[in-house]
Amino acid sequence: MLNLLFYHKQGLIDKHGRFNYNTIMKKKTWIWVLILAAVVLAGVIATIRISRRSGTYALITVDGELVERIDLSKVRESRDLVVETAYGRNIVHIEQGAISVTEADCPDQICVLMGKLTTDGGMPIICMPHRLMIEIEDDGLDG
Amino acid sequence: MAKTKRLALMALLTAIALTIFVIENQIPAPVPIPGVKLGLANIITLVAMVLLSRREAGAVLLVRILMGAMFAGSPSTLLFSAAGGALAYAVMCLTVGLFPENRLWVVSALAGVAHNAGQLIACMLVVKTPGVLAYAPILAASGVVTGVFTGLAAMYLLRALRKTKL
Ligand SMILES: [Zn+2]
Repeated sequence: MLNLLFYHKQGLIDKHGRFNYNTIMKKKTWIWVLILAAVVLAGVIATIRISRRSGTYALITVDGELVERIDLSKVRESRDLVVETAYGRNIVHIEQGAISVTEADCPDQICVLMGKLTTDGGMPIICMPHRLMIEIEDDGLDG
Repeated sequence: MAKTKRLALMALLTAIALTIFVIENQIPAPVPIPGVKLGLANIITLVAMVLLSRREAGAVLLVRILMGAMFAGSPSTLLFSAAGGALAYAVMCLTVGLFPENRLWVVSALAGVAHNAGQLIACMLVVKTPGVLAYAPILAASGVVTGVFTGLAAMYLLRALRKTKL
């Protein structure tokens, strides 16, 4: 209620509670600074949360098709998996609790530079030229 | 503005946009998604829209995307810059009239978010996995930051161009 009153005072909503877009557009600079800063902050917080999502299964897909589903917690000996498709070749290094691309013949090498994705989190590894993606399957238990 | 003058200005802006685009290709992206770029060349789309018109800005953008793909070379360049540029352009067209010129940076921030959304959609089409969406929040945030930056740059450029009594 207090909020509504505040918005009304600012001219952001009319007396019927409808948003007044014209005033919003003409409002002072600080409102936009606030809105945009909120988007940035929300984006950063969401990214931190996403990168902390944990799970034990790693999914390797090429062109949206599942290549392999690996339980990273049960890897006893680290091994290299060669993913070779019509698009190109990536060497995926699988070890206890972690997965990474160690070698690839793609032009940008971004997949290699992305480093390790672990069971404790990280961002999905993408090799765009080879349409390859490695992500941790969400076990539903967000940390 | 005379017709020839407009045409010359369009050519000049296209050349500047291409230069920015090529330089930008050398700068690492905020997100390790190949093809995702900052969208600095949107400065010129914005300037063209204010100085000329939406249609002429669209023409400058189209030439920049096509020639940029020729210069920068990689096959995904065209898809990504087209997806990002087109969506940013659409948002600029819709919002540029709603804001006074001293708030062009807001228009640009919205366009920056649209630019990154376009690139993310392009990425999803290629990889065909919804997991790509994990990068959506950081792309929204970086879209705002680079958008404000390109917006302010466009405002300074407009001020300078007007001083030359174009
Ligand atoms: Zn790669």
